[in-house]
Amino acid sequence: MALNRRQFLTLMGGSAGAAVFFQACGIPEKELLIDSPIEMPEDLVTGIDNWYATSCRQCDTAEGIVVRVMEGRAKKIEGNVDYPINVGKHSPRCEAGVQGLYHPDRISSPLVRTGPRGSGEYREISWEDAIGRLTNELQNLEASGDQSQAVLVTNPIGGHLGLVADKFADVFGARRFTYEPLETSVVRKALSDVFGQNSMPDFDIDNSDYLLSFGADFLSTWASPTRYSRGYGEFRQGHDHRGKLVHIDSRFSTTAANADEWIRVNPGTEGLFALAVIQSIVSKGHISDSVVNALTGGDSGWLSTYSPENVSEEIGVTPETILHVGEDFSHSNHALAIGGGSAAAHSNGYASVKAIFSLNHVADNVGKKGGVILNPDSPIGGLEAAPSGNSFAEFQRLTEDMQSGTVKVLMVRGADLFYGLPDTSGFKGRSANVPMIVSFGGMMDDTTSMADLILPEHHYLEDWGTDIPLAGVGYELVGFQQPVVRPFFEDRGDNLGTKGFGDVLLALAQVMQMDLGLNADTFKEVIRESARELYALGRGSINAPTFEAFWNGVLQRGGWWDVNAKGPSSAEPDRLDGISSPVITGSGEFNLMPFASASLLDGRNASLPWMQAMPDPISTATWQTWVEMNHKVAEERGIKEGDVVTVSASGRSITALAMPNPATPPDAVSIPFGQGHRDGGRYSAGRGGNLMAILDAVHDETTGALAWAANKVSVTPTGEWVRVPKFENTVPDFPRDEHNHVIELTSEDTH
Amino acid sequence: MADSQDRKWGMVVDIDRCTGCNGCVVACQSENNIPNNLEEHFNQRRAIQWIRIERYWEGEYPNVKARFIPVMCQQCGNAPCEPVCPVYATYHNEEGLNVQVYNRCIGTRFCANGCPYHVRFFNFWEPEWPESLKNQLNPDVTVRSRGIMEKCSFCVQRIRRSTREGERDEVQVEDGDRALSPACVNACPTTALTFGDFNNDSSQVSMMKEEAMANRGKKEGRGYRLLDNLGTEANVIYLKKVDNSAGAVHGH
Amino acid sequence: MIPGDFQPQRPTSRQMVKLGVLGVVALGVFVAIVLGLTFHISAWLGQPVVFARSEGPDQPIAFPHTTHVQELGMDCTFCHRNVEKEAAASVPATGLCMTCHSAVGDDLDEIEKMRSLYEDGRSIHWVRVHRVPDHVHFVHEAHIRYFSEKDGIEPSQVCQTCHGDVKEMEKVKQVETLKMGDCVSCHKENSAPTDCATCHY
Repeated sequence: MALNRRQFLTLMGGSAGAAVFFQACGIPEKELLIDSPIEMPEDLVTGIDNWYATSCRQCDTAEGIVVRVMEGRAKKIEGNVDYPINVGKHSPRCEAGVQGLYHPDRISSPLVRTGPRGSGEYREISWEDAIGRLTNELQNLEASGDQSQAVLVTNPIGGHLGLVADKFADVFGARRFTYEPLETSVVRKALSDVFGQNSMPDFDIDNSDYLLSFGADFLSTWASPTRYSRGYGEFRQGHDHRGKLVHIDSRFSTTAANADEWIRVNPGTEGLFALAVIQSIVSKGHISDSVVNALTGGDSGWLSTYSPENVSEEIGVTPETILHVGEDFSHSNHALAIGGGSAAAHSNGYASVKAIFSLNHVADNVGKKGGVILNPDSPIGGLEAAPSGNSFAEFQRLTEDMQSGTVKVLMVRGADLFYGLPDTSGFKGRSANVPMIVSFGGMMDDTTSMADLILPEHHYLEDWGTDIPLAGVGYELVGFQQPVVRPFFEDRGDNLGTKGFGDVLLALAQVMQMDLGLNADTFKEVIRESARELYALGRGSINAPTFEAFWNGVLQRGGWWDVNAKGPSSAEPDRLDGISSPVITGSGEFNLMPFASASLLDGRNASLPWMQAMPDPISTATWQTWVEMNHKVAEERGIKEGDVVTVSASGRSITALAMPNPATPPDAVSIPFGQGHRDGGRYSAGRGGNLMAILDAVHDETTGALAWAANKVSVTPTGEWVRVPKFENTVPDFPRDEHNHVIELTSEDTH
Repeated sequence: MADSQDRKWGMVVDIDRCTGCNGCVVACQSENNIPNNLEEHFNQRRAIQWIRIERYWEGEYPNVKARFIPVMCQQCGNAPCEPVCPVYATYHNEEGLNVQVYNRCIGTRFCANGCPYHVRFFNFWEPEWPESLKNQLNPDVTVRSRGIMEKCSFCVQRIRRSTREGERDEVQVEDGDRALSPACVNACPTTALTFGDFNNDSSQVSMMKEEAMANRGKKEGRGYRLLDNLGTEANVIYLKKVDNSAGAVHGH
Repeated sequence: MIPGDFQPQRPTSRQMVKLGVLGVVALGVFVAIVLGLTFHISAWLGQPVVFARSEGPDQPIAFPHTTHVQELGMDCTFCHRNVEKEAAASVPATGLCMTCHSAVGDDLDEIEKMRSLYEDGRSIHWVRVHRVPDHVHFVHEAHIRYFSEKDGIEPSQVCQTCHGDVKEMEKVKQVETLKMGDCVSCHKENSAPTDCATCHY
């Protein structure tokens, strides 16, 4: 049949239209199929949901979670009601674990670099090959006796994974570093000196009636927020008497927003405030002589240098404010003081935090209801909570070693050094002198994308583990992490896909014929063997006739604990020292007060869309890096919300979106950590600014930790404007008049 | 099934406990197959959050307060969204739920205009997930398509599932059971949210409601409803924030 | 011609053009409505029963319910073992078939096909016969429980209410339309809830 052009077009149009049209009537083909699997394990049965207990690894505190698994897929995460730390509750970050598990940008097999570093050009190789390449490098070092030129850097890991990593580094002779961007070493060291304990104690906020907190955003990001929030709920409305929360901070944080009173102090003077409170209480004699002697070293004379009158000007408050807090603190039945966060991130951080926590000795609340509850040692010998990170000063020395060529193999796990180390460390440039960078990252991040060899690890929902809590609950507790789903890349076969970090280290040790002294071939076996020690104790939450039953019980409940195995009930106060004035660098007119993002934290959760889309409690902004500044100051400078501004500190700068609010002090700006990743999957790469990079190298005098709150910055508008992505509208949320509150309030102090 | 129809679901929100952490928001996204809210969705004011935390400022530095209030569908007893729907896609059921029927909805958006709480959301796009993230979707909840409204359902899928499983196993599902409670309630770290049956006098919510509403307007009673003067008869009761600096001022 | 008598004016050529355009538009609208109706009707009716599949679809393995149920007297719940517990009745795993067929039915093609799939570790992609849309949450368990209690019958006798006499079917086909009308009328007869949120959420 011959068609002319017109006929052809008519027919084509008609049939295309019909095709489009009737397409709509169809049902997608896959919905018309049902799979009959080969075998049907319990968790694959259609429509049945199973909840498996494991540990969450989204924050530093491993909360007990249960994961809903249907047809072999993790659907939902909820808190484990049995688990002592969070008792069924969880932080906003926990739920996003499933997005990490099913993230579209996960690495599905070992990779070797084919292009220049940072180009993102990689080739898939088998695990055998990958492990061969790494052992080859390590054995070369071994042959020349330069084992210490291998460096293993991880995030703070405790439990069995920490044990295996430590042993591996130790037996091989590699240098072992622990990296955390927002260091806890200051707080950890101060706590161990004040309470004589390495682990963090528990704070019985539930039963406290006067809570004095310094800098620590404990309701949002600091240490164990879910545990503290649980306590906070009870503190507010769980008793006849509603507790009073006074927050002393240089920034208006989530905790400040929830406090009955927010006392704004100059950056770095939180410790001075605490010391002045101690002085005021000592001078009034509301405290036993033995505590005074222990705190002051026998001669309390020096303390008067820190009397409210003497220091109030430096702190930026009136002496009456300090005296008032001192009065309330000493007259409360269950006063409690906690601190950290920005209070610890100054050159005087250690001394400050020490003074803050020593207030608990003043209140004599150690081991008492509503006070500081000390933790016992780990029930399994050799198994510890995650250590605090090596200090920034130590990392600076490491980069110097990299410069001098004495770092040959850099192995990195869960530590995004290229992202988190400030530019002043020179780490990025000096990494060029490291011949081999190996990453165990399961997803691209700024460090993994610079690696020569990538050995992708399982997501934590696919892997084994244990956890001794960083901040325990006052009795012995071991959290157990088990795989709740089969590895997502299982179908890629044994020689591709992902593997657990612990298993890879064991495999490396096996290939290199190193004896780690663990008597087990797999990481699961390592944990199981240790669990026998717990079983042998014959006490605690799981009572079982056989070890097999005990093991099942532990996995079912997500851990083992013994409420009767408590920590010490008292601690000796440690002598306090004077507190120096904080070193603040930079020439800008604003104090920079960085803070950990409520969802992204230090940036580790930036790849997850739910976390990116979670509104910040204070600014309500999402997906971006913003600068909180005082709304009047902004108005004077002609800056409005969404104006793109350059924030510069000592020559380095980032851009961010201005977000004026009425709570930011006029002399300060606040910027969240967490954005500005060069790599990290489709949801975070190239988004926002990396605040970490521009910080000056100021150290805490005692520990060498990075003092990240000690910068002054200038803010200059670029003339551009970008809409701030946020849920709320642009109408300012001010009450219409002073007596008409936007949400309803009562002054009634009743239950 | 008979007893399930005598129930009337409600929630009590204690603002004095709420810290504004957004835990409920993420829990809800996870449970209810809410599409990922990307940056452009926020910028177009088309992001979907069945529950949100509103933050209000009061005062100015240094005497400044931020107030948080979680707002979800109030499941009004006298709902402004219901009579305006031309196709009865939203209606009140016997359990006190304001139900949104996705397959009836034709997307007029009248209900969203009628709702004074701004808790109804329109799907302006076909929801999209990367293939692998679809593994997370909850099979108990419909994935809404473009052109229909959606809103908080008090996690009706959990109510249905737990009730049915209770009947199957011949156990009574108690108020406060985690299989029954909405995802936000289970998540809330400070227990600011309590969910249960208002028709059961011994349930925790009933007792809280009674105590809170008994002395309404007086100093002792902390209970109130959002925009109560509109007569929506909301089934979500709020407990006032206690603020010692608020003086004698309390509401209207 | 009486004054005032209505005399239609001859349309100007301008009006002719307008009318012509209007006519074309009206025709277009008419066609669109017809197509729209066709679309909706075909979408609504676009289920196997109506589009005249008198037989069920071909399955990757021609599993005869007749042999298994009619001749061997197997119970529905032996293979669809989830039906009394959960929402989905569930199709059995190939492993369950192999409990018998590792020994039985050696020389049958279809069984060899199934065995080879089993040995290769590949699943069988059955063609779905009964399907309700995503926004309908049908629960087998509750229906089986209700009817077997009410009528005092075995769970496997309840199945035929919706699925027809499967044991007579060489190829399983859909006999009920499974439209909402069917659901609602049955719910009404049995005074089951007809609240939308019973099934739609």
